[in-house]
Amino acid sequence: MPSEPLVASDVRKVYESRRGPRIEALNGVSMSVHRGERVALLGRNGAGKTTFLKIASTLLAASSGRVEVFGHEVGREADLVRPEIAVVPQEGKPFFHLTPREQVYTYLRSRGMSREVAHDRGERALAAMELTEVADRLAISLSGGQKQRTMVATVLATGAPLLFLDEPTIGMDPFARRAVWQSLRELTREGSTILLTTHYLDEAEALADRLYIVERGRVLVEGTAASLKQDVGGTLRVTVPQGGRLTETLRTFGRVVPDGDTVHVLVEPGRLNELLTIAVRERLTATVGPVTLEEAFLRVVGRSIEDEVG
Amino acid sequence: MRSAETGLPRWFPRFGGMPAFAATELRVQLHEGLAILTSMIVQVVLLVFVAILAPRYFGIALLGAIVFSAFSLGQRVLNEAAYIRVDHKLNELYLASPLAPEAYFLGIAVGVLIAYLPPVVGLVVLAEAILHLSLGVAFLVGVLILAVWLFAASMGYILSTAFRDMRSIWSYASLLYNLFGVLPPVFYPLVLWPAGLRPVALVLPPSAAAALLQNALDPGLLAPGEVALAAGALGVAAFGLFFLTVYWARRSAQER
Repeated sequence: MPSEPLVASDVRKVYESRRGPRIEALNGVSMSVHRGERVALLGRNGAGKTTFLKIASTLLAASSGRVEVFGHEVGREADLVRPEIAVVPQEGKPFFHLTPREQVYTYLRSRGMSREVAHDRGERALAAMELTEVADRLAISLSGGQKQRTMVATVLATGAPLLFLDEPTIGMDPFARRAVWQSLRELTREGSTILLTTHYLDEAEALADRLYIVERGRVLVEGTAASLKQDVGGTLRVTVPQGGRLTETLRTFGRVVPDGDTVHVLVEPGRLNELLTIAVRERLTATVGPVTLEEAFLRVVGRSIEDEVG
Repeated sequence: MRSAETGLPRWFPRFGGMPAFAATELRVQLHEGLAILTSMIVQVVLLVFVAILAPRYFGIALLGAIVFSAFSLGQRVLNEAAYIRVDHKLNELYLASPLAPEAYFLGIAVGVLIAYLPPVVGLVVLAEAILHLSLGVAFLVGVLILAVWLFAASMGYILSTAFRDMRSIWSYASLLYNLFGVLPPVFYPLVLWPAGLRPVALVLPPSAAAALLQNALDPGLLAPGEVALAAGALGVAAFGLFFLTVYWARRSAQER
């Protein structure tokens, strides 16, 4: 498989409906995912992340454009693409009347793996997802997070060359999320490639080598979490509750984001002392933290919405 | 154009992985033992009514119950495939995998068939005990069960892909159940069906199968042309719809 795991160019998807309005879900998305990478798609609800994932994973036909997985066009050569991929569907649930062990094992068998391989891979995936204790309980009796972990274990156990995960850690507790991250890191070390969507920006930051921010069916920006944060305009965020009256002064330190009477200022470390001195002089409290991906996301998407409106 | 993987023509159905997926579906179904047992309620109730009200038609009703069971067994594919797709979204897990879409369809159908077959076999054994079926008729029963099941399972799968909500499926399933299984002469003799509508009964798969069985019990009931019509219609409906479903399974695996 010498070709890139995923190359998409100018992908468009329009949902035509006799009853409702015409919906443009994707409006010229282009992207590529390199071997061994973990790439995250970020975007608001309805931005087009799941639509793109479905097209790339052969489950949905694009209206136009081209998506290639390992050199095979996903529309015309779906039967050549499918053996190379595995998908965690959004809101997918395991069979309620199977145990996690049965779910993982039978799925691997249906993908053509031998009994021994299916058993070994299944046990490893269950252990990695910390499901061993409940592996013989029917899925119907598991918690929501455990059901989701079963879905993830089922797909991770395949070790497929390209994995699509649509909000894989939704409903999981922080420990379970970290277990998923760890497993995904191991899989990419072994040569798999991962494209995932998530609403958890900390997850994207911790996990993804690169990010694509999608809004209204278009890629707004692509880069690493660090590069996106750098574009925000500062590396530290100073939050000043009741700092509204100082907005103009604070604006001289960097970008100001008003939030009611609270003001967030994005500053470089060199000017932090000066800013804190002003806050103390004005008898205001101020908290300092690093700029997060959330700021970058809000800035990029917010600017896009302003552009649309303006 | 040939498949790079198998060397077979692209149009040729691929069923690799189907037995494993059918086994998955079978395990799922076997957890619902009560549903398997109660799958015979309508048939048993109707047989009791016939035994009390018109005992001379009991044999016909018994054969009809076998045909009806085969039809409703296939119809379960509608509910099961829709449930897996709408409620669990597991179709995405399986369709974006090496399992061919037609193997996915047949896996559901075969899993349900094996799980729900024992009560049908019970009815066949009862028919054998009461009607003393010859080997030829017993063979015919088996062939007709498979044909009616194939028709109903194929129809069920195609329909299952059209719904986005389980609630809307129930009314359609009930409609089909009555339209194909209860109204036409499946449980009752063909001679009681309006003579002018006889060809209709002979082309609807369940009543065609029932008519062929009634003719086997009572040779001469159907004219040779009617036997050909019923057998031909059933064969075309079962295999025609099956191959259409193979095509549809592939097409619907990639939504438009």
